[in-house]
Amino acid sequence: MNALLIAVGIGIAFGWTLERAGLGDARKLAGQFYFTDFTVFKVMFSAILVAMLGAFWLGRLGVLDLANVYVPETWLMPQLLGGIIFGAGFVIAGLCPGTSCVAAASGRIDGVAVVLGMFAGVLVTGLAFAPLQRFYESTARGSLTLPQLLHVPYGVVVCAIVVIALLGFRAAQWCEARA
Amino acid sequence: MSIHRVLAFVAIVLGALAPFAGSPYRATLNVQTLAKQVTNEEDHVTALELAAWIHDRKHGLRVLDLRAEADFDEYHVPGAESIPLDALVAAPHFAKDETLVLISDGGAHAAQAWVFLRALGYEHVYFLRGGLGEWLDDVMNPTKTSALTRYFGATPRKESTADSVANMRRRGC
Repeated sequence: MNALLIAVGIGIAFGWTLERAGLGDARKLAGQFYFTDFTVFKVMFSAILVAMLGAFWLGRLGVLDLANVYVPETWLMPQLLGGIIFGAGFVIAGLCPGTSCVAAASGRIDGVAVVLGMFAGVLVTGLAFAPLQRFYESTARGSLTLPQLLHVPYGVVVCAIVVIALLGFRAAQWCEARA
Repeated sequence: MSIHRVLAFVAIVLGALAPFAGSPYRATLNVQTLAKQVTNEEDHVTALELAAWIHDRKHGLRVLDLRAEADFDEYHVPGAESIPLDALVAAPHFAKDETLVLISDGGAHAAQAWVFLRALGYEHVYFLRGGLGEWLDDVMNPTKTSALTRYFGATPRKESTADSVANMRRRGC
């Protein structure tokens, strides 16, 4: 029960942060696909940096036991196809699942439409699961992490992602200035 | 300096230090390493090896007797500490560089405790292979005494056929 209450609290904080960052606005989200507004990229990559550096250093200092952190499993081909469908939906709707909930909560009609479409998609996938199951469970790779995949120490991956993120922020700033 | 630059600087510092910080994962049980140690017989000591360590006052040696306190009071290896198995793993308070030798009656409990302590990250852990019985047979009552066993007050015993068979069996495990 406590875990559920904490989850609700974190969810509300996440939604509030997305709304404050302006991510309830479909035009703003779609802007990244036209290289005019990289707010989504910057917010999401900032979140990745904070979570990654926090998890690494809290684990190293013994505050967080990383063995207890759930790592989602990888199914390569189904997730690649899912990513393409997700990306197409993102461009068409201008919203992703989290931001569509934020948009709906702040009274935007397009947000409500995307949330309804999302649930309809879940329902259809569930009803058509039997013929999809074989593909859905194919190319399983288990709980794969970048250090395991690349055979390099965890700290090196952390360092590389920090460099990539900062270069990405600089590139995004350059693109926005030219737009 | 803007807040963005400050945050970027913090990220750079934490990211640059990460490759030199080691693994963020806590010590976990590596069963392959343990299996290798067992195969190479690096998991246990014989009674005579333990006797030599005690005699030489091996630095950081701690002999931990897992038997019941009454049995410990009746007899124990010189310098041993009485500590029940559950207390041993509930609040281990050993330094990582100490050499821990575990003793039980037959060796089974000590071998289990060896796994627990290795899982908790202690590197220098051994158990007395044949338990206290091996200590009594090979150090305190050997068929032939030596300067080492005499140091512990050994008295020689005449080896019977049953003793020979028992020793062969024990050494074979």
